[in-house]
Amino acid sequence: MNALRWWWGLVLAFALLVVMRVFLPLPFANEVVIFSIYTIGCNFLLGRVGFISFGQPAYLAVGAYAAGFYFTYFGANPYIGIVIGIVVGFIVALIVGPFFVRLRSDYFALVNLALAVIIYFLMQKVLAPITNGDNGLWYLTNLEPTPVLDLTHPSQFFIFALLVGFATWAFYKYLDDSIYGACCLGAKINEDKLTFLGYDNFRIRLTAFVIANTTTALAGALYAVYLGFVSPEITSPTRAVDPVVVTILGGVGTLYGPIVGAIAYTGMKDVLSQILVNWELMIGFLLVFIMLAGEKGIWGTLEPRLKKLFFRKAASETAGGSKARTA
Amino acid sequence: MDGRAETIRADKVTKRFGGLTAVDQVSYVLHENEVAGIIGSNGAGKTTFFNLLTGYYLPDEGTISYCGEDVTRMTPQQRVARGMMRTFQLTSTFDNLSVVDNLGLAYFRAHKKSGLMQLLFNTRKSQRNEPKIVQTMDTFDLQDVRDREVKNLSLGEKRRLEIAMAILVDPKVLLLDEPLAGLAESEIQSILGVLRKHVGHQTILIVEHKLSHVQDFLQRLTVMHEGRIIADGTAEEALRHPEVRRSYWQIDVTAESAGVATP
Repeated sequence: MNALRWWWGLVLAFALLVVMRVFLPLPFANEVVIFSIYTIGCNFLLGRVGFISFGQPAYLAVGAYAAGFYFTYFGANPYIGIVIGIVVGFIVALIVGPFFVRLRSDYFALVNLALAVIIYFLMQKVLAPITNGDNGLWYLTNLEPTPVLDLTHPSQFFIFALLVGFATWAFYKYLDDSIYGACCLGAKINEDKLTFLGYDNFRIRLTAFVIANTTTALAGALYAVYLGFVSPEITSPTRAVDPVVVTILGGVGTLYGPIVGAIAYTGMKDVLSQILVNWELMIGFLLVFIMLAGEKGIWGTLEPRLKKLFFRKAASETAGGSKARTA
Repeated sequence: MDGRAETIRADKVTKRFGGLTAVDQVSYVLHENEVAGIIGSNGAGKTTFFNLLTGYYLPDEGTISYCGEDVTRMTPQQRVARGMMRTFQLTSTFDNLSVVDNLGLAYFRAHKKSGLMQLLFNTRKSQRNEPKIVQTMDTFDLQDVRDREVKNLSLGEKRRLEIAMAILVDPKVLLLDEPLAGLAESEIQSILGVLRKHVGHQTILIVEHKLSHVQDFLQRLTVMHEGRIIADGTAEEALRHPEVRRSYWQIDVTAESAGVATP
């Protein structure tokens, strides 16, 4: 029973994503799942440890280019490419992390942006001989079909992405419930107290940084496989705040905020861009509205209401049985 | 003072902030199982001195040793690992966690292996029914609010929680920075009641602005004024000291002496 309670939210969330897949076009579903994974790292940093990062595309690009290089120059197995993306993302986070997490929150935001800009110019100009500069790396036709789940096939890729997403959420849900999760929340608001209880603040923050950005690199590697090409556009400074926007849109620090935010953001992008030329302007206005309306984001506002609704329904069902069911 | 072992020894410790010398050549020895207090007016340097002992600041001059070991340059974590535990003047808890999770964090660090892996592989839930934590919640009357987020607690409850967290760690020395400030009389009594249980088998150092509440509870009293120690001894001795009498009208001593003090 306890295990069931632990799982039901996760299962429900991903069941809804499957339902979405039935009613909405496949590219949209794939984009939502990858974007959710992309955003959960940012959400964890912002909501759990109190770090705001304007440079998440840097880590996305690390994962994507690591996989992209592998597909272009070394091999063709999508699974191996994804693993390489994760490993390289982990290593990069481990290298820059010790320098970055020492910084206070506002400087942390900017130093990540600086890293994103560095990677952008590295890929666009400096390393152009091996990255093809603005044109990027194209390897879609090189990718090798894989047995069981063929990642070169978008509909099977979706199943894989969904499984990866589920595992990612289970992992972050577990993190929340662990003592480490409590340490992160503690570090977010009261570093001094944590230090004076004897915890190593630096290590706690570094670990959070590495976990979050390895997840982001995973999203990058998924993009690399799904799109079949990587270009510097992925780490363009104009896309730098996307994950922060989606995090806030969905609800900072909520477990399912990134999924809700990714659906809302991708949906608006698709719908609005058909109607309006300057659709990004609307996103800007919407964000201002959300900040003013209570800064809880969509899921942060909905969750307590849904809980209330759900529990009230459960209560009324036990009270007046069949009536509720026929209605 | 007597044959008891030294727990903390500060030797000619000085701390300056710009042109201001907040703590000036202070030497102080705290003995094992002693219950000592430091009082002084605002700006007397008592909290700065306290922060030097616990490693929040590093002294500009002088040395601090703990159980015979030089800890002057040690980080707060290293001092905590050796058994020093402090509370903060402005109550310091984790407001975004529940009461029981606050206690869990304090308990886990002190009593379990708490490397990164242990932090990751133990759930908060596993701590919640730890007998020691449950017992501490009973002692500090926190059972009713155990699952409440700390930001929703009253100041008194928060203060009790912070002291409970410190005691849960089983420290050798308990350093309390103004544990009674801003509390109602009944809350003060409940905190003192708990602290009394630890008298005799724990070294306790209390920094207080108001003496009246802790006077009968302290075995030793030190008075600080303008960064220096001006009197040290039992409460009566310290308060009878001429220099204390000269400056005590700034300090809220006891109700009785406050009457005399009004200039």
